[in-house]
Amino acid sequence: MSAYAMPEMYFNIDHGYLEGLVRGFKGGILKQADYLNLVQCESLDDLKLHLQSTDYGNFLANEPSPLTVSVIDDKLKEKLVIEFQHLRNHCLEPLATFLDYITYSYMIDNIILLITGTLHQRPINELIPKCHPLGSFEQMEAIHIAATPAELYNAVLVDTPLAPYFIDCISEQDLDEMNIEIIRNTLYKAYLEDFYSFCSELGGATAEVMCDALAFEADRRAFIITINSFGTELTKDDRAKLYPRCGKLNPYGLTQLGRADDYDQVRAVADIYGEYKELFEGSGTNPGDKTLEDRFFDREVQLMKNSFMQQFQMGTFYSYVKLKEQENRNIVWIAECVAQRHRAKIDSYIPIF
Amino acid sequence: MGSMFRSEEMTLCQLFLQSEASYACVSELGELGLVQFRDLNPDVNAFQRKFVNEVRRCDEMERKLRFLEKEIKKDGIPMLDTGDNPDAPAPREMIDLEATFEKLENEMKEVNANSEALKRNFLELTELKHILRKTQTFFDEAELHHSQALHDPALTEENLGLLGEEAQRTGQALRLGFVAGVILRERIPAFERMLWRVCRGNVFLRQAEIDNPLEDPVTGDQVDKSVFIIFFQGEQLKSRVKKICEGFRATLYPCPETPAERREMAIGVMTRIEDLNTVLSQTQDHRHRVLVAAARNIKVWFIKVRKIKAIYHTLNMFNLDVTQKCLIAECWCPVGDLDRIQQALRRGTERSGSSVPSILNRMMTKQVPPTYNRTNKFTQAFQNIVDAYGVASYREVNPALYTIISFPFLFAVMFGDTGHGIIMFLFALALVLKEKQIQAKKIDNEIFEIFFSGRYVILLMGAFSLYTGLLYNDFYSKSVNIFGSAWYPIDPQTNNTYTLKTLNGSENLVLDVGTSYVSGPYPFGLDPVWSMSKNKITVTNSIKMKLSVILGVSQMFFGVGLSFINSRYFNKAINIYCEFIPQVIFLFCMFGYLIILIFVKWTTFTYKDTGNAPNLLIGLINMVLFSYDENAQPSVRPFYAGQKGFQIFLVLLALACVPWMWFAKPFLLRHWHRYGQFKHQQLSVQSGDLVNHAQEINQQGDSGMMAAGELTDIEEEFNFEEIFVHQSIHTIEYCLGCISHTASYLRLWALSLAHAQLSEVLWKMVLHIGLAMDHGILGAFFIVPLFAFWAVLTVVVLVVMEGLSAFLHALRLHWVEFQSKFYAGEGYKFQPFSFENMMEYAIED
Repeated sequence: MSAYAMPEMYFNIDHGYLEGLVRGFKGGILKQADYLNLVQCESLDDLKLHLQSTDYGNFLANEPSPLTVSVIDDKLKEKLVIEFQHLRNHCLEPLATFLDYITYSYMIDNIILLITGTLHQRPINELIPKCHPLGSFEQMEAIHIAATPAELYNAVLVDTPLAPYFIDCISEQDLDEMNIEIIRNTLYKAYLEDFYSFCSELGGATAEVMCDALAFEADRRAFIITINSFGTELTKDDRAKLYPRCGKLNPYGLTQLGRADDYDQVRAVADIYGEYKELFEGSGTNPGDKTLEDRFFDREVQLMKNSFMQQFQMGTFYSYVKLKEQENRNIVWIAECVAQRHRAKIDSYIPIF
Repeated sequence: MGSMFRSEEMTLCQLFLQSEASYACVSELGELGLVQFRDLNPDVNAFQRKFVNEVRRCDEMERKLRFLEKEIKKDGIPMLDTGDNPDAPAPREMIDLEATFEKLENEMKEVNANSEALKRNFLELTELKHILRKTQTFFDEAELHHSQALHDPALTEENLGLLGEEAQRTGQALRLGFVAGVILRERIPAFERMLWRVCRGNVFLRQAEIDNPLEDPVTGDQVDKSVFIIFFQGEQLKSRVKKICEGFRATLYPCPETPAERREMAIGVMTRIEDLNTVLSQTQDHRHRVLVAAARNIKVWFIKVRKIKAIYHTLNMFNLDVTQKCLIAECWCPVGDLDRIQQALRRGTERSGSSVPSILNRMMTKQVPPTYNRTNKFTQAFQNIVDAYGVASYREVNPALYTIISFPFLFAVMFGDTGHGIIMFLFALALVLKEKQIQAKKIDNEIFEIFFSGRYVILLMGAFSLYTGLLYNDFYSKSVNIFGSAWYPIDPQTNNTYTLKTLNGSENLVLDVGTSYVSGPYPFGLDPVWSMSKNKITVTNSIKMKLSVILGVSQMFFGVGLSFINSRYFNKAINIYCEFIPQVIFLFCMFGYLIILIFVKWTTFTYKDTGNAPNLLIGLINMVLFSYDENAQPSVRPFYAGQKGFQIFLVLLALACVPWMWFAKPFLLRHWHRYGQFKHQQLSVQSGDLVNHAQEINQQGDSGMMAAGELTDIEEEFNFEEIFVHQSIHTIEYCLGCISHTASYLRLWALSLAHAQLSEVLWKMVLHIGLAMDHGILGAFFIVPLFAFWAVLTVVVLVVMEGLSAFLHALRLHWVEFQSKFYAGEGYKFQPFSFENMMEYAIED
């Protein structure tokens, strides 16, 4: 029982090696200096040349020129997946479950992507390569047989770990764009809350770090859902059901958000919370301003970086995946700007270190 | 030219290379491998440098070669490694190479695409063949079932299968549709489950495994697959089933409904498979031919491309002259090799056909040059032992020279056993004699690599262990009576030899030195008689302990002596007067004196008064404590008259050395700094040896200005506190170190004791049992497994494990006890631009 009372004490017995590994991986995350070099690139080949001198090594060495952004993107993802799979293959409980939890969010995204794609009559073979490899599961490719959420659940999702999250979405309505969006958010809500309770049960530093991170994620979703819902058919009651209830906004802020009718009211809710007030204040839609989304990413990166300050906890694994994902977004953004010769916005990547 | 005593004298040079000649020159320098280029544009990004396009083309060529190599490996074609080393091709040849590779790659890709298509076709046909075969059995079974159901009235309706039941009522294959296909075997369970769920149990699935694995046309892997056939009713179910099949990547094949059609189709499939096989084998042959041709050259191509790439990488480090006509490079090179470098440059210029010669100018610099120790295959391992601790500062005394002998020797002191030494020696000898073959084999085992690279160290370690083993008279823990023992069993009471009866009858017999010691000392090493005596350990301990102290203190003295050579060389007189002299006095007063006492004790006491000989250890402790008791026991009595006074003098002298070491240097330095005296002498220390100033040419840019003998003025920030703290640490470390290091050398004795005891235990507990067995002929049989056990343990535990432990201790004695006396180890290694090194560590940029 003492292991539960003080998980830090016994952490290294089971997970010490992997934590060391992930901290090593973290050392390979691109620094500001690397980004400064990257944005000077004239072509994607330049980009490749510079990435060769970083921890990425020759991950593009076997790709024939000319490179495309999608090849870079695939390779970046592949690298992350290889690292993640390595961690996953070598871990013990409860880290194994923890890492599985990380993949669930990718599974949700994949499901939504596939359903949306099928809805627009796209062949499934075209959609599969677009799915994130971290979130792939066996029944994924057969997803297009489902026409209603109930079918989706009974035929496909019932065997996946996402099944319990889906209970709330089962209805005989057809799958349309609105419904899909609701499914996505309901799934996410259930997932976040479940992950949150799993982490709090783990206790110790893991709970400290992860609850913070997940609370932020939950609040971000609540804000984004609210803002995106303006001008759609979504009723306020339905909207309120989509808010994940494990964030700092819960319960008062969420009630307030549930009543909001426009952006300013959302902003008024954020003003009550110091950390979100800052984010809203710094954002804008004018050229040169950072968008709210970017501000949230900024804040996320900050949180994830801080989680490395604590040892003997699993938050580092979550943070590593999130930071790496941000890095991939950055590289792809820069590559995209370079490829399209659109340098004006090349600087709006989000530096990590 | 090259000496191991110090690292090579280095100089910074500036190279002016004509643009058109630069490639050839750098290529020549790469073959020579004596020049370390400095990056003159550290701030420029990798992709903004001048020759980035050439580097990129090389990358591309390498990629193609890797692709070819992969294909060659896939087909298991041996790659010819002739070991020859082609020169870097001229830049214009690069285009030819590129074209060749391009052609090969395209050809390969085409062949691959063809064979993939063919293979896919082949796979489909094979799968269809299996489907036809397996479904036939399904249908046959159904048929059988059907007829059974009709003809066997005992079968009730519950016992009928779905198909049978269906068929009975509606007539077979009238309303039932079916699809047949092939699916990966591991996906079957999920597939089945989903079918059940989606169709709510309204389908019937039969599956059968395909016995031999099929080849995946894309990856070339062997995969296990299964044939399945699904029966269902109605169009809606059909579309669903098809979707699920698609989702699980099952391939569906048309399967005719009637047996006759199926048979016909099967025959058609078989003939097509036959045809395809011939085409496939032709494609394979073609592919094989192409690859064999490529395999013959691929190693050489790799070397060529890597050389080109290395040259352009190096050129990227150069500066462009204002006129764009020549490249300027800076490099470190050994002074002794300047001529060879000049020649290489001349060759390069000639090869490129340029009329303007390349110019090599020596430069003055304040920077510390790299450390370059010339080594050969023998000295390399020893140099590595030293470098692992720290690369020597520029031109300081290189301890590797002494390590060559002292390291194996100290190892052998701990490992002394002739038998084990022979094993080790022969092992290393085999590695040394076969080194060419082994090198050619390129064994990739890390552990073997370690042993192989240290083969000369092991050889010497084995040889020295042989020697010390003879000294200790240990041969697998047994003593060997080579020269005849000097002792004879004579009874001290009667002065007659012991009779055989007495010898056999009593456990303890004392050999008196006065009577039993009949001839002179045993000529070499330990008298074998000791191996039988009960006090053997006491005697060997005493000898080995004293020997350890003598060896240790001598080595420390030698180390301190080397620090004198360093100070002389760097013209640091202050270090001699304020560090070296007090250090020697300190060491001598405490431990030099002890060694003298050891020798005195050995020589002055005969067997008659050994019981009264003073104890050295207690004597040493009392000496430091100033405790001289007049009425003490004999063990603490003085050796000689006036010992008290002399010892007190020694201790006081040693104590006086401490403040001398501690304060003299920092205060003297501060004094000089304040009053400006000797300032110049201080500074010339820094560059005292750099080069003969008169020859020095200081060339800035291309101005060609001669500035002879201009001293590099290094005005170091004078920081008294720092110097003082540093000196304090140094002094404390030295004084405490002398004591602890001397104690540390006792490990020589301790490990030697442990090794001897362990091998003796092994002998007694294992092999001795067999030898002492009293069962006549049976003992002979027993001895075989016992010997095997003993031999394995001897090699694994005594030679390998004990050897490793003794190696580590010898390493520590060199790094800590010996080198701390003089070795700074603050230099950095000379890493010349060399094709040879580059090939060894397949380059990564």
